Amino acid sequence: MASTLLDELQAVFSGAGFTAVAVAFYDYESELHFSYQGDRFFHAASTMKVAVLLAIFKAAEEGKLKLEDRLHVRNRFTSIVDGGVFRIDPSRDGDTEVYRWLGRAMTIAELARVMITRSSNLATNILFDYLGIDLVRRILEEADLDGIKIQRGVEDEAAFHLGLNNEVNADGLLRLFRLFCNVHYLAEKSRAGVLEILFAQEYNSMIPARLPARAKVAHKTGEISTICHDAGIVFLPQRKPYVLAILTEAPASVENRQRVVSSISEIIYRRLAGSKGESA
Amino acid sequence: MTPSRVVDGLLLPAPYLALLKPGEAVVDELGNTHFLPRFFYEIDSWDAAKKLRLSEHFTLAELMAVDCREAPLLLESFPHYVPCAVSILACYLELFRQRVEAPVFVSVNGGYRSPAHQINQCASPHNWAAAADIYRIGDTYLGNQKEIDRYGGMARMLASELFAKPFGGGKGETDDHLHLDIGYVSHAPRGQSEAR
Repeated sequence: MASTLLDELQAVFSGAGFTAVAVAFYDYESELHFSYQGDRFFHAASTMKVAVLLAIFKAAEEGKLKLEDRLHVRNRFTSIVDGGVFRIDPSRDGDTEVYRWLGRAMTIAELARVMITRSSNLATNILFDYLGIDLVRRILEEADLDGIKIQRGVEDEAAFHLGLNNEVNADGLLRLFRLFCNVHYLAEKSRAGVLEILFAQEYNSMIPARLPARAKVAHKTGEISTICHDAGIVFLPQRKPYVLAILTEAPASVENRQRVVSSISEIIYRRLAGSKGESA
Repeated sequence: MTPSRVVDGLLLPAPYLALLKPGEAVVDELGNTHFLPRFFYEIDSWDAAKKLRLSEHFTLAELMAVDCREAPLLLESFPHYVPCAVSILACYLELFRQRVEAPVFVSVNGGYRSPAHQINQCASPHNWAAAADIYRIGDTYLGNQKEIDRYGGMARMLASELFAKPFGGGKGETDDHLHLDIGYVSHAPRGQSEAR
């Protein structure tokens, strides 16, 4: 099956101008595991926010924070390179709501939600600053997530220019999302909380775009000029879910990147679930 | 109006003493030593703090709002204790508001924060309830040099004891709010004794 699937996937992205594509999935129904270029690292873009989400819920379980704790909303951060001050540019942020709270406070739960559902860069950096990189890295290490490399928050231009970026590979993101299916990793209430936030994702033009309406997808996209990723968990009625990660890299001039990711998602869906009479 | 109950910090239970350190010597960013405030208003609830107007336009709640970087005992349980200088600060803020002719907004963590608050790098007038970080005046957010210089200058003209940090990203400067303070002011309300 894998070789045929690979042919089908390659037919989608070959000739489309991509410099790299990686795909990984695990199907809890068939127990099928697939990985193509799964260990190839990419700039994480906003998929790193899922690691922050994991750290928040794990830290809450460890008693290090409470989701209802309130944090000062402040747009002022320091670069990991030289300690220089930088701010998030609202025009480059997926969300503007958090900026209305400048000077006031939002709960960690509120910030976590908008970090995922609207990919708020400001919320991400506020949370990341509070958690601290040591806590985030420790939680990733203890979860054996070596395919997720976190160095900093987002929009640290000085770090970006020195190549100090957060990186992920498809296998790493797959393992990260599989933790949210693992009843032994997070307590049921935490797991439900994480999934509820991921289900509320507002950017749905990739993995869910070509799936049937009955599919519920808990996912997170990541896009910058040369990067277009999506990873998540697909829940369908009367079958166990499958988890997938689709990572792409292409020159900024390449168009239709989201369409290619959604096509890959559709192919995987048809392979895994379409044989039971379900079609997109 | 000021809160009705004043307490001598030295008589507080040990957990509060450890966090508020009333009368203890601390060092500011310039290396100068100061003694932390000893007398506090005792606040029973957030509702009470929201209702209590220290001046016409400033409630106690606005000048004691902190985030979860504050010590849990001081954040999560009541009573709360706020140094009595907060009522003097409110008077200066009221004067400033009259001067700028617009609502003045003090940020979370921008009024009183205890010596145990995690964002403290050294002692500052915030620990005396004698400082305010103003992030917005009217509809103007104070996030650039022009606005911080403009309103800082207006504050300095009001009273020689009113200090405004200059614009900048370095030590003793601010670049995303206007910091005003009246120094390390301790207030012993009438009826209180400073004899140990």
